[in-house]
Amino acid sequence: MLDDLKHDFPIFNSYPELIYLDSAATAHRPRSVITAINQFSILENSNIHRGVYDLSNNATGKYEEVRLKVAKFVGSENANNIAFTKGTTESINIVAQSYLADRLEQGDNIVTTIMEHHANFIPWQMLAEKHSIELRIAPVDENGDLIIEQLNALIDDRTKLVAFNHISNTLGTVNDIEQLIELAHQKNAPVLIDAAQSILYYDLDVKKLKIEFMAFSGHKMFGPFGIGVLYVADQLMDEIKPYNYGGGIIQSVTVNGTSFSNFPFNMEAGTPNVSGVLGLGSAIDYIEKIGKRMIKEHIGTLTKYCVEQMKQLSEVKMLGSPKNRSGIISFVVDEIHPHDIASFLNKDQIAVRAGMHCTQPLLHHFGESATARASFSIYNSKSDVDALIKSLKELIKFWA
Amino acid sequence: MTKEELQVLYKAKILPESKNPYHFEVADQADLKIEAYNSLCGDKFQLYLETEGELIKKVSFYGFGCAVSKASTSLMARKLEGMQFKEAANLCNAFVSSLKEQQPLQAFEDEELGILNQLMRFDGRIDCIKLGWEAIDKNLK
Ligand SMILES: Cc1ncc(COP(=O)(O)O)c(C=O)c1O
Repeated sequence: MLDDLKHDFPIFNSYPELIYLDSAATAHRPRSVITAINQFSILENSNIHRGVYDLSNNATGKYEEVRLKVAKFVGSENANNIAFTKGTTESINIVAQSYLADRLEQGDNIVTTIMEHHANFIPWQMLAEKHSIELRIAPVDENGDLIIEQLNALIDDRTKLVAFNHISNTLGTVNDIEQLIELAHQKNAPVLIDAAQSILYYDLDVKKLKIEFMAFSGHKMFGPFGIGVLYVADQLMDEIKPYNYGGGIIQSVTVNGTSFSNFPFNMEAGTPNVSGVLGLGSAIDYIEKIGKRMIKEHIGTLTKYCVEQMKQLSEVKMLGSPKNRSGIISFVVDEIHPHDIASFLNKDQIAVRAGMHCTQPLLHHFGESATARASFSIYNSKSDVDALIKSLKELIKFWA
Repeated sequence: MTKEELQVLYKAKILPESKNPYHFEVADQADLKIEAYNSLCGDKFQLYLETEGELIKKVSFYGFGCAVSKASTSLMARKLEGMQFKEAANLCNAFVSSLKEQQPLQAFEDEELGILNQLMRFDGRIDCIKLGWEAIDKNLK
């Protein structure tokens, strides 16, 4: 277990009693990331790619350094595989609009799964409606594991994309992406991996895994809000059209027409989120300093402990029991609505999420209207789990 | 609100009402069916109104929601029976407005609405309180 990392996160100085079990929604930021963002405003602020003066050159250099850092972080040597976006949601929408939309023909299909976050579901549903093609949705079993044979049966030679998350933000299921990618590639379909929940502690080597598209957000990996990443593999970079139009993405503009830069420089129209990018770079440094393996081990130990504890409470039912679970547990309690659970836990300074977690199709599948969700990160400890269990016990007793 | 205050409020007011909600049943024969749905949290009630002209004779409701939304909708159901549409819409509108402006409900000198007044101060749960009321306001206006 990792010790004392809580001290790296100033939010816990502000709220020493806070038991934060909502890192799947957003992670807290370590001091080093906050400093990097602030330092940019104090010492380095200027627009990039546009000035010849020192401040601007320096900012541009740092911004582009992070592009390479992100590329290496996901196993590529090529900085140009990486576009900066607003987050996972925008990254996925870019693939839908700037890559897929124009290549869909009648009879084609897109394959996704029932466990997706709305961000990796609605863009495909909208495309399917607009282009009159089929959206095929792979089911999960009662444990919350994908039914691989059924997923496999959905992929055929008219599948234009297979889009799935690495980790379900509701069930905590860790998908075997190696296997899923293999299934897609057998039918020559490219894959999009929603890595929002996994980028923090899973090794995602895009080259080894032969991933075509991958999306993630800074704020779930200790970085700031409003910054995210779209990875596009070498062979598809030329296939991505601009997403927004404006300055910074062009080669030449005349009254008769415009020619655009290549990916990723055709993505970042307008002034980008420079301090966000630098914050993201600092978050990667922080993660690498601790090591993904250590992070995974720590979160894994806590989650396992919490699952065991929850199993002791007969009134508590966990949603799914995946073979391989990440640091996320969704649960319901007999007779007590998740919102009421969250309100009472809040009084004990415990922050959990209640609701549908942007996964309505999945909750419908399980016949639930809402769940409470606890999720863990490196600043959590066993005592946080104990506090959660104690509060739940107290609430169950109170309610009876 | 402290934890103890929260417990008292739940024990005294919310739980009794939500565990024994007023006319909590499906009424498919109702003259008017209104859905009250919060897409953020998933709470969803069907409101059933039996009417005569513009007079609300009976209100029942059914669905899935937290203790707060259930108690609040239940209290509303009691209140609306015997009202004209317009009267009901006005009451619901005034109630929802008072929640949004976070003003106390002194205008309603009514013990049960006083309970909701207390509920209102209940952090982060205004959406649960107003769920049914807002649906009536929108649909009977
Ligand atoms: C699996 C998954 N995909 C996508 C998203 C959307 O991420 P963002 O809101 O940062 O765009 C989330 C965030 O909740 C998520 O958990």
